Parts: sequence; structure tokens; C-alpha cells
Amino acid sequence: MSTGRPREASALPAVELEHVHKWYGSIHAVRGISLRILQNEFFSLLGPSGCGKTTVLRMISGFETPTEGTVYLKGEVANAIPPYRRDTNLIFQHLALFPHLDVYDNIAFGLRLRRLPRPEIARKVRAALELVDLVGYDTRRIHQLSGGQKQRIAIARALVNEPAVLLLDEPLGALDLRLRIQMQVELKEIQHRVGTTFVYVTHDQTEAMTMSDRIAVMNHGFVEQIGTSRDVYERPRTRFVATFLGDSNLLEAQVESSNADQTVLRAGAARLIGPADAGATPGSSVTLCVRPERLRFAGAGTASGGDDGNRLDARVRDAIFKGAVIEYRLVTESGARLILQAHADAARPVEPGAAVTVTWRKEDGVLLTE
Amino acid sequence: MSPTYAATPRGARGRSLALTGLLGPATVFLAAVLLVALCILLVNSAYHFTGTQVQPTLTFEAYRHFFTDPFYAGVVWQEIRLAVTTTAICLVVGYPTAYAITKIRRPGWVIAAYILIFSPLLTSSIVRAYGWLVVLARGGLVNWALLRLHLVAAPVRLLFDVTGVTVALVHVLLPFTVFPILSVLLRTDPALREAAADLGATRLQGFFRITWPLSFPGLYAAAQLTFVLAMNAYVTPQLLGGGRVQVLPLLIYENISDLDWPLAAVEATVLIVLVWATMLGSNLLFRRRLATLEDRR
Repeated sequence: MSTGRPREASALPAVELEHVHKWYGSIHAVRGISLRILQNEFFSLLGPSGCGKTTVLRMISGFETPTEGTVYLKGEVANAIPPYRRDTNLIFQHLALFPHLDVYDNIAFGLRLRRLPRPEIARKVRAALELVDLVGYDTRRIHQLSGGQKQRIAIARALVNEPAVLLLDEPLGALDLRLRIQMQVELKEIQHRVGTTFVYVTHDQTEAMTMSDRIAVMNHGFVEQIGTSRDVYERPRTRFVATFLGDSNLLEAQVESSNADQTVLRAGAARLIGPADAGATPGSSVTLCVRPERLRFAGAGTASGGDDGNRLDARVRDAIFKGAVIEYRLVTESGARLILQAHADAARPVEPGAAVTVTWRKEDGVLLTE
Repeated sequence: MSPTYAATPRGARGRSLALTGLLGPATVFLAAVLLVALCILLVNSAYHFTGTQVQPTLTFEAYRHFFTDPFYAGVVWQEIRLAVTTTAICLVVGYPTAYAITKIRRPGWVIAAYILIFSPLLTSSIVRAYGWLVVLARGGLVNWALLRLHLVAAPVRLLFDVTGVTVALVHVLLPFTVFPILSVLLRTDPALREAAADLGATRLQGFFRITWPLSFPGLYAAAQLTFVLAMNAYVTPQLLGGGRVQVLPLLIYENISDLDWPLAAVEATVLIVLVWATMLGSNLLFRRRLATLEDRR
């Protein structure tokens, strides 16, 4: 491994993984992950269950040791440092609050182990309770708290130790949708206030996009893509990323020609224009991905020539009213299924059964080569 | 009242009817066997014994005899000491055993450990006692080993003594100690220990701050169960005590054989009261601590 690389103190990532593998017996749970999490960043590990995201989190917190590769915390090799000596704190999936201790003793747990003087502990616990807006709950017992309150106590119990990195293992999973959305906003606010690095594990793409500065999309033990919410949503690099984050229209096509401006594709009888892509060599098979909200019905209003020549004839199978938008399910002549999302205030809704032509701009398409 | 609520009392009545049906037979059986027997016992304890037969006149002289003769106080004292020692040893041996079993990873070994722990219950108490007789005798296995290792100069008295009875009692009662502790430990979420470690606790600190307090109800139940069973043990002190270890169950049996039912009834009553008093007393003592742990889920 390359370890002689110079590291500047200011630019040190809070967490860095270098070619990290984890085997459980014969199961290869994490397959060579390298990533850098910057200081004060809200970083999410997003992926379906079993993709290895929790294992990565547990290797950062010290509960698992990488089978291969290196975990750095602030530039120092941390592979063999036990959890109790790491400057990280973990918020567990089911919170793991201590049922035999009251709220105060739960939050003070870490401070007492560090043998801080009593008045300082009291001061810090109070500040932590203020942070999560639960002042006065000191003597409550854990079972007397609501789901959201437990959540906040778990955050307070971790943050009171002022960790360099706060790790969160799908902590909002048990909450109902409303509370979950509220906690997402609160978590983001708390992160702004304390300025700690947050590493957040979730399988919920909306949650990841709402909160994260950057997202690592994981699948089968690999990182498929790392980027901002916008990056991974608008410029997915793989089929998996395109389908896991929201709905996508995926069109199989062959590259006909490609230049610095555009890529010309053929999908069955249709000729499609995609964005320029260095990886698109003539003759190769690619997948063209277009988000449902980027598709439009070609018609009177769109004759301005914004379609760059992308036109597909289709029939409307279903129109689903979703409040702000209407989602149309379409089938093209070649049998491909498409989803088109239009604002619900569009002048005249298209009825199921209608023959339509859909269109989109070439820059709204993304070429997926794998 | 709105008609919606009309269904509720009927539903509740149906429920309580079903409950009565389910619990009824057991309740009737227990009431008949336990309460009636207890009443007969109490009445008998007050009767007069002539030396050859029982006369149904209320005299309470058996009580006077029991509470004035220092012999009985000695027996009670020896019995309590025996039960307390046995319980203490069982807890000291049983807790680490239970804890270790929760740490075994391989399912096969877990099953082996269970079989080992519960094996004393699979043999009859008589066979087990005779087994200990062989092991603890003057020329038995233990003395042979002690002599060969030059730890003692002459064989030690292990049999027909409190030592042997205690050893054998620990053997029989250990499963009853291990099981409640084990079940509480298994119910404790392993994430709690991880959370403690994450917050800076070493293994030892994690154990004493999390596992130990949370396992207290199991430890407590184990102590009560072991103590009660040790107090009521009959076969083990009978066969391994050789008459030198006197406990109430033995006296009860002897007195019944001698037809002195009133004295036997008094001894039985004293035994029941002792056990109940210990249970209630300890429940009161640990009420606070148990209450905070009971609502842990």
C-alpha cells in the first residue's frame, strides 16, 4: 500500500478508506472501497440492504477490522484501534440507549468514563440537551420517551463527547414518515451548528439527498459512484445508480457516431441524440438514461425545436395523479416502457390510450456504459 | 352512551369468561391441593400428640416444644447456612458459566454446553447421590487425588458432613441458577455493550456498567430459586449427610414416621414461613432496583 504520501494537516480528510475489503468467512461483504470523507462534511453511504454500507460504518467505528486495506482517521492508520479509543461516536440503528439509566446518565456515560469533573459533566449534558431541545428531561427514563425523543437523546449522548466524526446507522428507520422528515431537517441543522463530520448510512435515497453534502452509492460491496446529490441524480454513472436514485427511463441503444457535441444513437428504428461522451465508441452498446421529469410530450407547445431530434412514439397506458405532478406510464412502439412526469397544471391532461410523441433535449440524457 | 360502546362490556365479559375457562381448572386444582392441604397442616400442627397417637384437641404444645428446645434452633440455623452457602456457590459458579455460554459462537458447542449444564436433571436424585458417595468417600476419587498430590496426609471427611451435602446440592441446583441468568443475558441487546464501547468503555467497564446491572433480575431470580430448592432439599442431605446434617425436611419425615404429626406439621409450617419470609423480604429489599429494570423494554 502507498503510505508515504504527504498529508497536510489542514487538508486531511476526517476519514479515509484505502482499498478496504471485508470478508465474513466466505462472504465478500466489502470489495475494495476507497473513499475520502472531508472534515465537517455530511457524507452518506447509500445502498440497498446487504450492500456493505453498515460494514463500512462499523469499520470506521472500530467494531470491525478490515480484512485488507487501511482505514485512516484524520490521516492516522486506525485499523487496529478499538472503538473505545476512537474519536468517533456511533448512533445505532435501534439507538441502544441504556434502559437502566435515565436520560442524564445516558448522556453523561461517555463523559464519566473520561473522568471529567462533575460540574463540567453537568454543564456539557445541559448543553447537549439544549442542542436537541430536550432541556428538563434529565430524570426521565428511556421507556418514558417517544420515538423522536429517544432519537434526540441518542444524538445528544453521542455528540456530548465532541467526536471528530459522528457515525449514524439508519437511525431514522423506526420513525414514521412525518417524524422522519422532521428529524432529517433537524439532523442537518444540528450538523451545521456543531460542525462535526457526519457519516450517515441509509437505504433511503430521498433521505440521503435531503441531508448529504456528498453521497456514496453502494451496491454489492462496491462504491458505484460518489458525488453531490445533484451529481448522482443527474449524472448517474451506472445503471444501478440511475435506477436506485429515483425513476429512470433506460433505453438500450448502439452508438452510431460520436463527436465533441453529441452522440448519435440507434435504438431499434429510432435515431436518438445523446450528450457527448468520451466512452462512446461507434458500434458499442450503451444505455441512454432520461429522468421522467425531463421527458415532454411533443406537441403544439414544444415546436420551438428544443427536442434536438429525440422523438419516440408511444401510447399512454396510465396517468397517475400525484398532486404536484402527473405521472404517465407509456409504451413505445418497440415495447419499451417509459415514465413521463408533467406538472399537474399542464393545460390539458393526456388521457390513457392516447397516441403521443415524447421528446427531450440531448443534454437531459445520460449515457451509461456499464 | 353511544351505541358504539355497547359492544365493549360484552366483549370484556367474553374475554373474562374465556380467561376463567382457561385458568379455572388450574386454579381449582391448586386451591384444592394447596390451600386445603395447608389448612389441614395448620390444624394438625395445633393437635396433641400422646406419644403413640394424635388427639384432635387444640393444645399448641408442638409449637412450644419446637421453639423452646434449642435442638430445633440449631437445625434451622444449619439449614439456613447450608442453603445460603449453596446459593452463594451456585451464583459464583453459575454467573460466569451463563455469561460464557452467551459468548459461544458455534451452535454445536452451545448445545453441548446446555447438555452439560442440564445433565444433573437428567439423572434421578438417588443415583446422583450415590454417585457422589463414590466420589467423596474416604477411599473415593477426591481423597485419592488429594493423597496422591500430597495435599493432605490422611483422608479428609467429605462424606456424611455439610461439605459433601453442599457439593452435591450445588451440583443439582446449578441448572436452576444458570438458567434464569442465561435467559436474561440472552435477552440483553448486544448493541448496548457496543454502545458502551463506542462511548469509551473498556470490556470490563462495559460489563460492570451495562451487563451486570441489566442481568440483576436474572441473578435475583436465580438466587431465590436456588435458595428455595436448597431449603427444601431432602434426598441429598439424607443420603450424603449420614444423619449428621439435620435439616427440616429430614425431621419432618422422621416425625411422620414416628406418627408425631403435630411436630411434623409445626416443622413444615416453619419451613414454609421461612421460605416465604425470605422471598417477601428480599422482594421488598430490592423492589426499587427491580422496578427500574422491569420496564426496560
